[in-house]
Amino acid sequence: MWDDNEMFLFRSTVAYAMRRQLPGQQFSVPNIVVCNETARVSFWFVVMSPDMGSLIPKQQVEKAVRMSRGRINSAFMLTDHTLEFIGIAPTLASPYTPDTPPWLIVFGVVMGVVVAGIIFLVGSSVVQKKRKKKQKSTDNNAEVNEEHSAVNEGVYNMSFTDEERITRI
Amino acid sequence: MGKDVRPNWDNPMQFVLACVSYAVGLGNVWRFPYLCQSHGGGGFLIPYLIMLVLEGIPLFYLELAIGQKMSLGSIGAWTAISPYLGGVGLASVVTSLYLCLYYNIINAWSFWYLFHSFQSVLPWAECPVNANLTGPIEECERATPTQYFFYRETLDISSNIEVNGGVHMGQALCLLLAWIITYLFIVRGVKSTGKVVYFTATFPYLVLFIYLIRGVTLHGAINGVVYMFTPKMEQLANPTTWINAATQIFFSLGLGFGSLIAFASYNQYNNNFERQAIVVSLINSSTSIFASIVTFSIYGFKATVNYENCLESIRVKLLNAFSLSEDTISMETVLDWIEKLNTTYPEQFAELGLEAVPCDLNKELDTAVEGTGLAFIVYSEAIKNMPLPQFWSVLYFIMLLLLGMGSMLGNVTAIITPLRDFKIFSRMSNELFNGLVCLFCLLLGFGFTTPSGNYWFTMFNDYGATFSLLFIVLIEVITVSYIYGIKRFEKDIEDMLGHRPNWYWKIMWVVVSPVLLIALFIFYIVNYIQGGTPTYQAWDKDLGKAVVTEYPVFGQLFIALLLVSSVSCVPLTALYAYCKKKQRKQPNQRKRTISTVSA
Repeated sequence: MWDDNEMFLFRSTVAYAMRRQLPGQQFSVPNIVVCNETARVSFWFVVMSPDMGSLIPKQQVEKAVRMSRGRINSAFMLTDHTLEFIGIAPTLASPYTPDTPPWLIVFGVVMGVVVAGIIFLVGSSVVQKKRKKKQKSTDNNAEVNEEHSAVNEGVYNMSFTDEERITRI
Repeated sequence: MGKDVRPNWDNPMQFVLACVSYAVGLGNVWRFPYLCQSHGGGGFLIPYLIMLVLEGIPLFYLELAIGQKMSLGSIGAWTAISPYLGGVGLASVVTSLYLCLYYNIINAWSFWYLFHSFQSVLPWAECPVNANLTGPIEECERATPTQYFFYRETLDISSNIEVNGGVHMGQALCLLLAWIITYLFIVRGVKSTGKVVYFTATFPYLVLFIYLIRGVTLHGAINGVVYMFTPKMEQLANPTTWINAATQIFFSLGLGFGSLIAFASYNQYNNNFERQAIVVSLINSSTSIFASIVTFSIYGFKATVNYENCLESIRVKLLNAFSLSEDTISMETVLDWIEKLNTTYPEQFAELGLEAVPCDLNKELDTAVEGTGLAFIVYSEAIKNMPLPQFWSVLYFIMLLLLGMGSMLGNVTAIITPLRDFKIFSRMSNELFNGLVCLFCLLLGFGFTTPSGNYWFTMFNDYGATFSLLFIVLIEVITVSYIYGIKRFEKDIEDMLGHRPNWYWKIMWVVVSPVLLIALFIFYIVNYIQGGTPTYQAWDKDLGKAVVTEYPVFGQLFIALLLVSSVSCVPLTALYAYCKKKQRKQPNQRKRTISTVSA
């Protein structure tokens, strides 16, 4: 709710900003003159010098507001978007750029897992093949193998099977 | 009996899941909802289901039968059916190769988005600031943050297909990862594929279900669902509706690529594929419908959010222009106030430059989008507005990845299986051969990660497979019904299943499907000729939107090359077979032997 107290706070924050911009000059609330207030909560304001003699030029006021924008915003718990100084573009915060982009980290994790999986699979099949080769060469000397290979070379005759002809899903 | 026994699926369930994983892909999520919306909502289901019955299931059955009977990949199977028509199998392999090249790029994009979801603020939620920190980057201002993220940060897209540049490193890395994972899934052939499909076929349904619950509870979701399902029956009179329904069934089931033949060739001889064919086709179609409910609730949410944001910005504009206090205009009364202020202060109001009806919910809903635009732009826009967006984003892109990877399994298997039937390749170990195929596709796929890569992707997507598939499947069904003979085919099926196919199947194969396919084929040709120069959507960074551009001459030549290279396999192979036969007849001068095909 906008009321006179809020206006007082506004004038004091602008005075604070002017003090920061022009050190030495003791700006205070009466130096900030406000007019044309509307129900929208929009108004014009000008800044007088501490001795109420002269107007402070616009560029100085703009610089002051720009420098202390963050403090003014936080006094009202508003943002650059909700508190607008017409003609003064907000200086947006520089984006936080981490040293390694975060996506690269996740990518590295996934890639590592997948490559490990491949090495494991390919490696295990290579080892299996080597083992089979060794087994075959030792088995060739055994007599027992003759019997086994005879059975293996047969063709499965389907007409003698008891199984269901149709496999279920 | 060869030394290498053909590997088999561990059990019939693996085969069914493999088919489901292959058929249920990205098209179910992003093509069907679009078609449903643009062709009369709920009414579209009528032509869709009719086409499913008339061409989808019979053709699916046909391909499974051939694969299971011949126990060979597409090239071997078709050569066995008729030596002159081995080219059909070769055309399938070529088309599958084109598909493999560009399909994995989508998975690369899904990975990119997935990895970028692990941030406190999603990178597509806000525009990044420009160099002197005064405001957002202009290109992002003119477009939306999600579009900017997709076109600039993901693709780094150029202004048209002729302008090119270097490879996008992030994209290239993601593509590499996609191919490595594909290799991991197929490295041992059917043995590894069979285990993977348990996951890739079932997990997407879990995610879809979670998204369904999330989707229908979103604010404004009901708008989208109502909009989609309101049947506009007059659309049924439009022939394009029926043609799109037929084409959708066709591509959604993945007919003609040779993947189904390849999968079925690893079956036991007596596997009951008849029931499996019906089950998989029905699962595919119901998934499409299910996914479109999810898509449209998300759509409705996004449209409602945009509509309300639009109202809000109008409200602020009015408050600022007429210096009213904050609580005079609320969201509900914005439109009334527009009228009131227009009548009381017409000149001041005109200065604002508002249209008569500035925010329209139906217009928001009408912006029908399909394809990559839907998946990566519209959906991510909806996600950023949800509470806890990182979780939903991760979940969504994992689902896209599973759908895409599941289809890739089928695509790569369609290339590997027929090639392995040849003696030269079967001597190589499984791992080495599969690795070489993946490496080959990866290297060619890097071309799609360049700035103009997305335009080439669109070209491949639109022209690489569509026409050739129609041609292939038409030849397939005519070959089986007339050249091989429907009676012989019946006998083969009886041999495998124990009963003949009933009259429904036979009528579809002999009459209905060929007629439908010929009609679709003619329609495509007519459409292509009538359409003039083929065009594509080029992203204009100054305007911040996509602009319709014609393909340059080399682009059109390449399109022709894509079409001709796969289609010409059929006549060329026939010619080759004919020449070989003549050659063989010369020295021996004996009667032509009849090759026995079935036992």
